[in-house]
Amino acid sequence: MSTQGQVSLAAPAARPKQFSQDAPNASGSVTKRLTNELMTLMMSSSPGISAFPKSDGNLFEWVGTIEGAPETIYSGLKFRISITFGPNYPYGAPQIRFETPIFHPNVDISSGQICLDILQDKWSAVYSVHTILLSLQSLLGEPNNASPLNADAAAIWDTPEFKIQLMKHYRPFTGTGLLSRFL
Amino acid sequence: MATAALRSQVQAKWNEGFARLNRNDPGITGLMTYTEAWNMATEFLRPRHVSTPNPIQGAFAYPVVRLPIMLEVFLDSIADNFHLIVSDIEQYLAQYQESGNTQVILQLVFRLVEWFRKWAPIDELGPTIRSAYTLTFQTRLFSVLPPQFLPGFKALCAASLEEPQSTPAKMWESFEVLGMSDRYEGIVAGVGYERIERYIREEYAGKWDVQVLAALRTWMSKHIVAWMLPLYARGATNAEDAKGMLANVGARFDFHLNKTLCELRTSEIFDIIIDYPESEGALKDLKECMQRVDQRAALIQALRRANKKRLLHPGADTKLILSQYVATIKCLRIIDPLGVLLYKVADPIRRYLRERPDTIRSIVANLVGEDDGGDSLVDENDTPVPLAPPDADGFNDPNWEPEPVDAGPEFRANKPSDVISTLVSIYDSKDLFVREVQVLLAQRLLAITDEDNTPKVDKERRTIEILKIRFGEAAMQVCEVMLKDMADSRRIDNSVQDKNRTVVHPTIISRHFWPALDSSDITMPGQFQALQQAYAKEFSTFKPDKRLRWLPHLGKISLTLELQDRTIQADVPPLEAAFIELFSQKNIWTMDELIAGVGPVDRTAALKALITWIDLGVLKEDQENVFRLLELKEEPGPAPARSIAMAVEEPTLTAAEQQHMEQMRVYWKFVDGMLKNLGPMSLDRIQGMLKLAPNYDQSLEQLGVFMDAARVRGMVTVKDGIWTIVSE
Repeated sequence: MSTQGQVSLAAPAARPKQFSQDAPNASGSVTKRLTNELMTLMMSSSPGISAFPKSDGNLFEWVGTIEGAPETIYSGLKFRISITFGPNYPYGAPQIRFETPIFHPNVDISSGQICLDILQDKWSAVYSVHTILLSLQSLLGEPNNASPLNADAAAIWDTPEFKIQLMKHYRPFTGTGLLSRFL
Repeated sequence: MATAALRSQVQAKWNEGFARLNRNDPGITGLMTYTEAWNMATEFLRPRHVSTPNPIQGAFAYPVVRLPIMLEVFLDSIADNFHLIVSDIEQYLAQYQESGNTQVILQLVFRLVEWFRKWAPIDELGPTIRSAYTLTFQTRLFSVLPPQFLPGFKALCAASLEEPQSTPAKMWESFEVLGMSDRYEGIVAGVGYERIERYIREEYAGKWDVQVLAALRTWMSKHIVAWMLPLYARGATNAEDAKGMLANVGARFDFHLNKTLCELRTSEIFDIIIDYPESEGALKDLKECMQRVDQRAALIQALRRANKKRLLHPGADTKLILSQYVATIKCLRIIDPLGVLLYKVADPIRRYLRERPDTIRSIVANLVGEDDGGDSLVDENDTPVPLAPPDADGFNDPNWEPEPVDAGPEFRANKPSDVISTLVSIYDSKDLFVREVQVLLAQRLLAITDEDNTPKVDKERRTIEILKIRFGEAAMQVCEVMLKDMADSRRIDNSVQDKNRTVVHPTIISRHFWPALDSSDITMPGQFQALQQAYAKEFSTFKPDKRLRWLPHLGKISLTLELQDRTIQADVPPLEAAFIELFSQKNIWTMDELIAGVGPVDRTAALKALITWIDLGVLKEDQENVFRLLELKEEPGPAPARSIAMAVEEPTLTAAEQQHMEQMRVYWKFVDGMLKNLGPMSLDRIQGMLKLAPNYDQSLEQLGVFMDAARVRGMVTVKDGIWTIVSE
């Protein structure tokens, strides 16, 4: 009885230690950072932006939602984005794409690629999911027409035609429809 | 048809029979003598009326008579003549019905004995005849005794028990003669039982201070045993013999005594517990009775019923329930040290207490001795013991005893632990208690207004030291920090005062370690603000890395108001002080201006603060919501009807609840986030995803309840178990 107990007690105590040593330390700290960012994001009540990990097992893939800010042309529209964090996060920027087709000067209409300096060369480790989402939300209202990904959009920005094109491409999403795309 | 042989055979038999009866006397003289003897004998034995004299015994010889046949004839004649007795019985019973006097029954019994003796055959006829007679007579007698006789008989016995002196010794003897002792033994015993029951009820109901069982036994042997001695110890030749004969019946009476006492105490158990420790005698009695009588189930039932009816209802104060629970624990430990009874009784109480919102608070208040002088649940003499998981299987207990048969599979032997441990174990975790201790401590520490807080803080420190023994050093760490904050506050205040004397004496607390205090956004106007700022400046030179965040609403302010004709001293809460400070700028303010002057406050709270000043005669409400400072005293005129009736203060949540709500608010954000981004989900998936939330510890059921509450508020909808967020 007693010997058995000792054996069974000793084994599990030893194992986790090995694991934690084997596992890349970086991954652990990235997970920790992402958990903290999630907490911050959840507790911040910035209107119109939110994001959440796709599953509880993988913190590196998130889904986000951005609503157009009031009094911009995107007001009342909702856009899904996907966020993928690399193992070197936060030293490397996460990859972000619009999943909802968006007619915007700095977003590629078909691939959802975004042209935003802080997501490329201006990335810094002090940015977080929260700041990225805020930046994206403001990007909607204030596009950088100097370096367009979507030249057509940049050309008609500030004309009534833009809104027509925007609504032509916009696909409101339903929760289930989107979910099935991820599963 | 008969052959000659047959005929000769019959002839021979006849001759033989005749010769036997005739006894070889000449002619038939022998036969004649026999007839005469038979007639004499039957005449002698013939049952006569009891009042007629017996015939003189003739000089005849019974042996000549053929006994079996005579016995038959005799018994038949008894049957034929029994009507005489019947009419006698009817007469006596009619008399009894009329008068109700048990003496009549006694007379009847004596009369029956007379009949019995009168008809009894003489002893010379031998035991066979006598016993046959007795049997026949008794059978006949019991078959004719009408039903009214039994109540009469019972009453007679009862009367004799009441007044043993007036009972003729002959009574028991007569019962015996008539066979009533055996036949009506049950009735006699019943009379004894009833007497015992009545005696116990009359003498001992509501008397719980001393043990009565011994006294009861003495009473029984003196009264009941002495009374039934002639019945049960009949024929005993010496005391030893009588004792042996009584042993059996004595045990039965003793059992009944135990049972009756047990039933009485069972019916009183709730009040006995209330009376504890004055009722210890009754409890010890009950314990002793329980060993003889199996009444445990009845006791459990009775107590559970009483608890349900008298204790576990909204009208009972939580403190009361707790103290009754503690008394129950102590009482049932006396009756059943192993705690099976307690386990069964305590379960509903514990379940009920768990549902009460203020249970923890009450227990903790008791732990820290909040109400001095009141009944403390905790016995001062109890040595505090650490809360430790009990050695459930008792492997290490040399005095291990098996569980009683009625223990049931879920019973866990509750080793005699102290009361606090039992109370704390009402809840699954001691964390709730620790948190509540923190909140209570915070309240008590903040309530200290003395400039020198050391004595009071030391008192709290002592309490915390005691609690440390119970809950462990680690659990009390936060409390330690709080106590340290108090000491530090005083130290810092001393140094600040040394440099720059001020009337502000803040208590500086570490936000992370103190329970969430209700926040308020009022800003103190005028001189208060100046004072606060001056203090904060001093503080920041003293501790440059720290910044003060004021919680002005928790303070207390001593004011001296100097008006034109009078000065007023008042100790008031900050809001009151802030309002009156505003009145130093101008004399007339409207409610809205006042509120704007101090920041967001509830109108009701504001009104309450203003009413304080109105009551002190400093302000006057000239018209609705317009207040004027009375520089000169005015006689209070008829006060205008106040615009808002004083709102009832909302019941404040307990700290644990508040914390729970706070936590659930965080979880809700996560639920909201996941449903918004990932689309509708099942409860299972939500539960899984909530692992991402820090310290998430709710069960699936709890989450279900939580989600349902959100649904009621219209924040989510659910269809086929899939939850969808309602977008605003």
